[in-house]
Amino acid sequence: MLAKSGLSRLTRVALAAITVATLVVGCGGSSSSKSGNSKTISVAYGSTYVFDSVALTNKWWNQVAHQFEAQNPGIKVKLVPIPGSYNDIVTKLSLLYRNPSTAPDVAEIPTGQIGLWASSGYFASLNKDLASSSWWQKFPAVVKSEGTFGGTTYAVDQGENDTAIYYNKDMFRKAGLPVPWKPKNWNDILTAARKIKSSVPGVTPLWLNAGSGSGANGLLQGVNNFIVGSSTPQIEDGSKWVVDSSGIRAGLAFLKQVELGGLNASESQLFSPNAVTTPLTLFAHNKLAIAIGSNYFTGNWTKPISAPYWPQAPKTMGITPLPTENGGGIASTLGGWDYAISAHSGNPSAAWKLINIMENKTNSIDAANWAGWVTPNKDYWTAPAFTTFAPQQLLFAQILPHATLTPSSSNYSIWVQGMGNATGQLVSNPSASVTSAVNTLSSYVSNQLGGGAIKKLP
Amino acid sequence: MATTEVSGSGALAVGGRELPTGRRLDRERFQWGSVSLLLPALALLALLFLIPVGYAFYLGLTNLRLIGPTSLHWHFTGLSNVRELGRDALFPKSVALTAIFVGGSVLGTVVVGLAAAMLIRTATSVVRVLAGGIVIVAFMMPAVSAGMTWYATSTAGGTLATLFGTSQSDFLHSQPLLIVTMANTWSQTGFAMLVFAAALRTIPAEVIEAATLENASAVQRFRMVVLPLLRPTIVTVVLLVTLLSLANFGLVYIMTQGGPNNATNILPVYSYQQAFSFNNLAYGALIGDVMVIIATILAAGYVWAARRRA
Repeated sequence: MLAKSGLSRLTRVALAAITVATLVVGCGGSSSSKSGNSKTISVAYGSTYVFDSVALTNKWWNQVAHQFEAQNPGIKVKLVPIPGSYNDIVTKLSLLYRNPSTAPDVAEIPTGQIGLWASSGYFASLNKDLASSSWWQKFPAVVKSEGTFGGTTYAVDQGENDTAIYYNKDMFRKAGLPVPWKPKNWNDILTAARKIKSSVPGVTPLWLNAGSGSGANGLLQGVNNFIVGSSTPQIEDGSKWVVDSSGIRAGLAFLKQVELGGLNASESQLFSPNAVTTPLTLFAHNKLAIAIGSNYFTGNWTKPISAPYWPQAPKTMGITPLPTENGGGIASTLGGWDYAISAHSGNPSAAWKLINIMENKTNSIDAANWAGWVTPNKDYWTAPAFTTFAPQQLLFAQILPHATLTPSSSNYSIWVQGMGNATGQLVSNPSASVTSAVNTLSSYVSNQLGGGAIKKLP
Repeated sequence: MATTEVSGSGALAVGGRELPTGRRLDRERFQWGSVSLLLPALALLALLFLIPVGYAFYLGLTNLRLIGPTSLHWHFTGLSNVRELGRDALFPKSVALTAIFVGGSVLGTVVVGLAAAMLIRTATSVVRVLAGGIVIVAFMMPAVSAGMTWYATSTAGGTLATLFGTSQSDFLHSQPLLIVTMANTWSQTGFAMLVFAAALRTIPAEVIEAATLENASAVQRFRMVVLPLLRPTIVTVVLLVTLLSLANFGLVYIMTQGGPNNATNILPVYSYQQAFSFNNLAYGALIGDVMVIIATILAAGYVWAARRRA
């Protein structure tokens, strides 16, 4: 899942120190290549962050390795676990890829990094292998596109996170709101939240992530859903970053309305690095009515995951797609994890066989269930193993084709920081104008990248 | 009593006996033979400090990135990053925030540390040992624990909110720089207190007693007797707290990650952000270089001040 960026700051700090030391000692290292037909293939993956528990991580990767070794006698799988949170995994993989001799044959990589790493020449093209792949044909177009740049596919999806609206049905009934609830536009969401505020005291009416504390995850599971659901969903336009558009203004204006109405969670909760997972606990304690949240919430409430275990969740929680700005469509961001083969792999055909095993029905569904994803393969969406694991798995799968990809190119992190500052400004000071928040984003990105790197759309 | 005079011939006469001229015994001498004894230390210094710092200065003048085309094929780019530093509006802000953070921490640590040491001086040995133990725990606490403790204390529902505001008061996000400076001061005060307490014990009781007999008030005794005698210790504490605060990335990063809206984006956090969030390793290294230069200037200034006063 995507949500645990704040869990291991100590690791992050330690890794930063180690990274600097490693760079100082090892920059510009050798470029020895591997042997042509290696008898061992290495696979690097996040061991404590990606799946919902370390035990499930070990179970899944060991089952994949055993299946591969049984089908390919003589070739061993070397597991390269990477502990730590999102940033630790990205930093460690970046360092491994810097030297062809340390680059893993196969790696589990976050969607948000594919473009940058592919442009760095780290990945092998998968076009030839994918042309004859049956499972690849079952992936929705938007999922296929996340690893494809300039007609070449460098990465294939392992599992996806998308977004919807979660709501507490008991609180809705108490407030006299309809159950099931189907908001037609953003105004309907505000109206319901206001009704909750006036009818159900002591609860947070609406959770909408904002601020820079939870980084890219906070935006992916927050305001970015509104930007992609607006009339101008672009964040990136060619090589430029969109810092002002009617879509960005619409997303910020919605947040401003939420803040002005006193509908959102407190500043302390929103600015916490663990903000994105806080709604899980608030819902389980009946302290939250509505949240713009990710698909992994439902899985986290199940007994196997227990983060936290909330047996009443299937009965209490309602889930409905987030409508586009003025209705008529479904708005959601999209992000997940992918597999890629190193451009310097010693045995790319074995690496491809490993990916095939990881994409088979059992492994794909297990990964989706244990990491809180939607499996990218449409054929598996209706499989009981997937649909019965947690409530509304199929609904999130059906949202997937409507979702919009987040940029994965260089400098997206700068736009994220600028947008985090802009949304944080509206949380700290709801009376600030949308224009001043736009200016915060614009000045931050242009300061970091220069005035030539920003773009304003109507 | 022996007399010493310099004779007209330049020979040194002690007690009417002439000593051979030549090497002056009152000047520092250098023996080439000592170089071999210093070599291991020099080698370690070079390996662990000079070469990495020199390399970091070099990296600051390249286009090295963590990820991207120039992560593998990077090269020297001259003063390009330095010009970028001049253009970057966040950099001077970060320097100013660092100055306030370090200055505030030093002032707070010295004042509170000294006050605590003065108070504890008159306490019984049991109280002294207990208080010393408690403050050293605060000092020994890892930045992660101290940061999380202060995060919980200063956000909504925390101790500060309960004592000074409503339960929803969020001091960390309304006064971020003040709170992180207080947290840093808190974590280092114990160290300052112990050093001051040790230094205070070296001040002879007779000196204080003499001042008391001269009718000096408590304030006068502190200002005109204790403080001048503590000066070298104060300089040492100021130097150490300055350097510890200047490099205190962990505490601030854990509490605020430099936010909200860059309000606590001190130089070490900004350097990390550029290097590891924005993948701009070279620019991050350059900001680190600036910190090394600032630390060197400050350390040299303190050493000079300590020598002058000694």
